[in-house]
Amino acid sequence: MSSTATVGDLVSQNYKYGFVTDIATDKIAKGLSEEVVRLISSMKQEPAFLLDFRLRAYRQWLQMEEPDWATLGYPPIDYQEIIYYAAPKQQQKKSSLDEVDPKLLETFEKLGIPLSEQKRLSNVAVDAVFDSVSIATTFREQLAEHGVIFCSISEAVKDHPELVERYLGTVVPTNDNYFAALNSAVFSDGSFVFIPKGVECPMELSTYFRINSGDTGQFERTLIIAEEASTVSYLEGCTAPMFDTNQLHAAVVELVALDDASIKYSTVQNWYAGDENGVGGIYNFVTKRGQCRGDRSRISWTQVETGSAITWKYPSCVLQGADSVGEFYSVALTNNRQQADTGTKMVHVGPRTRSTIVSKGISAGHSANSYRGLVQIGPKAVGARNYSQCDSMLIGDQAAANTYPYIRCQQPQSSIEHEASTCRISEDQLFYLQSRGIGFEEAVSMMVSGFCRDVFNQLPMEFAAEADKLLALKLEGSVG
Amino acid sequence: MSAVIRPDAPVLLEIRDLHASVENQPILKGVNLTIRAGEIHAVMGRNGSGKSTLSKVLAGHPAYTVTAGSVFYRGENLLDLDPEQRSRIGLFLGFQYPVEIPGVSNLEFLRVATNARRKERGDEELDTFAFEDVVRERLSVVQMDPAFLDRSVNEGFSGGEKKRNEILQMALLEPVVAILDETDSGLDIDALRIVAGGVNQLSSPDNATLLITHYQRLLDLITPDAVHVMAAGRILRSGGKELALELERSGYDWVDAELARLDGEAERQPLEVA
Amino acid sequence: MVAAPVVTAAAAGSGAPALAWLAELAGAPLPTRRQEDWRFTDLTALAAIPVGVAAPAAGRALDPWAELNLPAGVTRLTGTAAEAQLGTALAASGCDQHWPVLLNGGARPALLVLKVEGDAGSLELPLPVSAGEGVAAWRLLLVLEPGARLELLQVPAPAPGQRQLLSLVSEVVLGEGARLQLGCLAQGHNHAALLHHLAVRQASASELQATLVSSGWGLARHEPRVVQEQGAARTRLLGLQRVDGRQLADTHSFVRFDGPDGELDQLHKAVADGSGRSVFNGAVQVPRLAQRTNAAQLSRTLLLSDRARIDTKPELEIVADDVKCAHGATVSQLQSEELFYLRSRGIDATTAAGLLQRAFCHEVLRELPAAAHRHDPMTALLGAA
Repeated sequence: MSSTATVGDLVSQNYKYGFVTDIATDKIAKGLSEEVVRLISSMKQEPAFLLDFRLRAYRQWLQMEEPDWATLGYPPIDYQEIIYYAAPKQQQKKSSLDEVDPKLLETFEKLGIPLSEQKRLSNVAVDAVFDSVSIATTFREQLAEHGVIFCSISEAVKDHPELVERYLGTVVPTNDNYFAALNSAVFSDGSFVFIPKGVECPMELSTYFRINSGDTGQFERTLIIAEEASTVSYLEGCTAPMFDTNQLHAAVVELVALDDASIKYSTVQNWYAGDENGVGGIYNFVTKRGQCRGDRSRISWTQVETGSAITWKYPSCVLQGADSVGEFYSVALTNNRQQADTGTKMVHVGPRTRSTIVSKGISAGHSANSYRGLVQIGPKAVGARNYSQCDSMLIGDQAAANTYPYIRCQQPQSSIEHEASTCRISEDQLFYLQSRGIGFEEAVSMMVSGFCRDVFNQLPMEFAAEADKLLALKLEGSVG
Repeated sequence: MSAVIRPDAPVLLEIRDLHASVENQPILKGVNLTIRAGEIHAVMGRNGSGKSTLSKVLAGHPAYTVTAGSVFYRGENLLDLDPEQRSRIGLFLGFQYPVEIPGVSNLEFLRVATNARRKERGDEELDTFAFEDVVRERLSVVQMDPAFLDRSVNEGFSGGEKKRNEILQMALLEPVVAILDETDSGLDIDALRIVAGGVNQLSSPDNATLLITHYQRLLDLITPDAVHVMAAGRILRSGGKELALELERSGYDWVDAELARLDGEAERQPLEVA
Repeated sequence: MVAAPVVTAAAAGSGAPALAWLAELAGAPLPTRRQEDWRFTDLTALAAIPVGVAAPAAGRALDPWAELNLPAGVTRLTGTAAEAQLGTALAASGCDQHWPVLLNGGARPALLVLKVEGDAGSLELPLPVSAGEGVAAWRLLLVLEPGARLELLQVPAPAPGQRQLLSLVSEVVLGEGARLQLGCLAQGHNHAALLHHLAVRQASASELQATLVSSGWGLARHEPRVVQEQGAARTRLLGLQRVDGRQLADTHSFVRFDGPDGELDQLHKAVADGSGRSVFNGAVQVPRLAQRTNAAQLSRTLLLSDRARIDTKPELEIVADDVKCAHGATVSQLQSEELFYLRSRGIDATTAAGLLQRAFCHEVLRELPAAAHRHDPMTALLGAA
């Protein structure tokens, strides 16, 4: 009981979302070329500006090299072995849920995301994305009454091309990085949110991503625009079946907040992580960036990362508007052979911009968990402030916790404070809780959840309990 | 060796020839002690005499290994049980150094612990609201500010606050046998009064208390039925409350002489047997 | 390898020829900013150094230390005795192939190998350069026998007004229970550059305190690298660098614990004024066998001008679970409340700012060996009060 190995045993649990839905899909042949990019665009009947966008990105991608600076190790990815488009066979997106293949509805229900009118959550609108395609979006009419647009990005391209053209690629340029360029060339679907001026979005918006095919890459593109003085809270969830091969997931998320707007973006990521020997699992290479374009705007990222074989993601804020605020709250739990290299960039451009970073990394098994962050204060960011706190908890002596917090500052009238610590669950703490009648598992779970509390507090109410449960699930197991 | 104070009362805790070691270093070398319902016992002794080890062993700290002897709690073999099970059936250890657990809310901790004990007794578990009512009422026992409930377990608490939090836990868990390890250390006189007042309020004819302490001053406030002097891992002498006063007057010097005498006996023993 | 003969310029001219010549001396191309370790420090600035070797100011036989008075307990080794442990600390701390180290080897450094036994008191090692422009190089190896003690002060100094690149590589081997208090007081000028490596192997129960103070150089790079080979040793690293004008100062520190129970206490401070650039990169590695390591790293920077820039990058890599590792970083200007308090007592703003800067620097300067005081490090750093 005294050994940390038993704590390690606790962090192991079986993945509960590993099933495969047996459904016919349309796939294009594997491999990537200019023809494939054109094919995706034509299958989606896209306007010319978007085809140009894709082709430009593809050509840039060809000139780029896969980044190798992260503390990650994986065999080279063969980009010609990936299928870039897969969709469940159904001709058109259905206007009513009744027409959606019941197998798909059942899949999402099994994942805890009921879409049917009787069962769905009363105050959360859901966009369900299966492989590359959005299959249903709930509460669209109710949202439309407030002028809120919440739909798949493919629909937005058809119905609101002017908005897509104005904002797409303005936060994450096509040549931003290798994976962003790849995504820009081949992205299939994702969510689109537009909150008009002065509107407080009446409910939580949520997208649920499900990878089903074994050999398909998933490349979602999400774009959220909050006009002046509007607010929105958005949550994404992710799962995938268990395959013994690795699937590539390279998403791009762009957020734009105008004057006085506020966007809260939460992620609960539970992609399949591979087995205890590191076989299979999702490669999660994601570019997420928000731009506080307007004065007094606010963008807040909250992430709970528990899945994926490899996570490479740095949700960032570019704080352009005066007095704008960026926040990043993160819990990353790695176990077995998982590798996570995650953190954030806070780029202070405007005066009196403020940012807060709270990162909690938990490493168990043979996993590696790195925090990598950048706080940059530019010459015009007079009065800018940053506070960062990154804490690591190590479970067992085979896990690695790395911390790489870059700071770059060019403005004397600013202040940056960074604190980091490393801890473990001490025998004394365990004994203290046990001596008050609290069982071993519950004691460990309480301490891990206590360690993460600052972050869980940031999640929307509806999902905070969910995240706690997810972590508790990860901690479920037999006491050795 | 221990004095029988209430011969008719049921035995709650029976320690027989208890030997224990930590990191292969023997610390307890044959402790005998019987505690009956309604009794308050005090164990005194110098630093390193084994007092705190005794309390840790009774509570089941994983770093201590019992090498010989037995401990029965209401007829049940205590040494077979996990620390949490010992707590659930009514054994309580008030820590000399209560542990800080950042991030874990004190209120949540108290509720989970209380419900674990209630469940064991067959009582209904309390939800958040019902528990808040209970805890607020018990706060008065230790004159604690409700604000402490919203903080993390013991984190940033002063020495006195930590000890009051221990007694609050005792008030909530309603133990049958409470072991208070140096609960008086590091307390000013006001905090000491509050803590002692709490202990007195909670003691009844059905439960028992084992006080582990250096000093007489706690025993001025809580009157023990029996006092035991520990040295070199065993109980050297037992008596009534006057023994504590005697120690206060004459110190522990006699202990060395006594130990030397015992060691001599131990050395001669094989000869006698032969 | 002992003593540096004056090498005449291999090629005349300036700019690119100087860089090509430096690459040739090192036997390796100059690192570029595409390499992570040199991302913030552009060595093409060395193009301003004329081709040629500026000899360390020499006494008899071209040996700059021929007349050095060594305290009792310190012996100078030469020949094979000297070479036995040469390079071991560089290799152990993974920097034997670093470009500044290769350059040092190629520049035929003046060599000093000292063996220290017992309590040897204190030693000041002047590192002066004769007038003349180009590269001057020293290599030092200190072997402290078990239980030995030494206070050592190094004072690298370029000749006034001369365009010089000073290359200093120090290796230290600390035996069991040995204690070294090392200070390096490096005061340069705008036309001079300093490349300084300090590689240390620490046996158990040894103690190292290294205090590196640097100011005034056009370009200065300090790389203190320490390996606790069995853990269970104490390492204190203190750094203070000040930049002004268009100067650049860069400290890349590295500490690795190859055994349990090691301790690190690191404080790095920087003051950036004018259009200066200050870089700090602090790597700490705690592998699996280094249980119960206790490491703390703190970086504090004062940014005094809106044209100055600082880059700070701690790198903590931990694979042991029972460890205490904390690091912190702050960047700020002088505290306005403190300034106001002083001004409300009648002290003018400039004087008050000066006082506060002195207080900021004092925390590191006071850790220099006592011998440093006669160099008046505070004035060297901040000018007269």
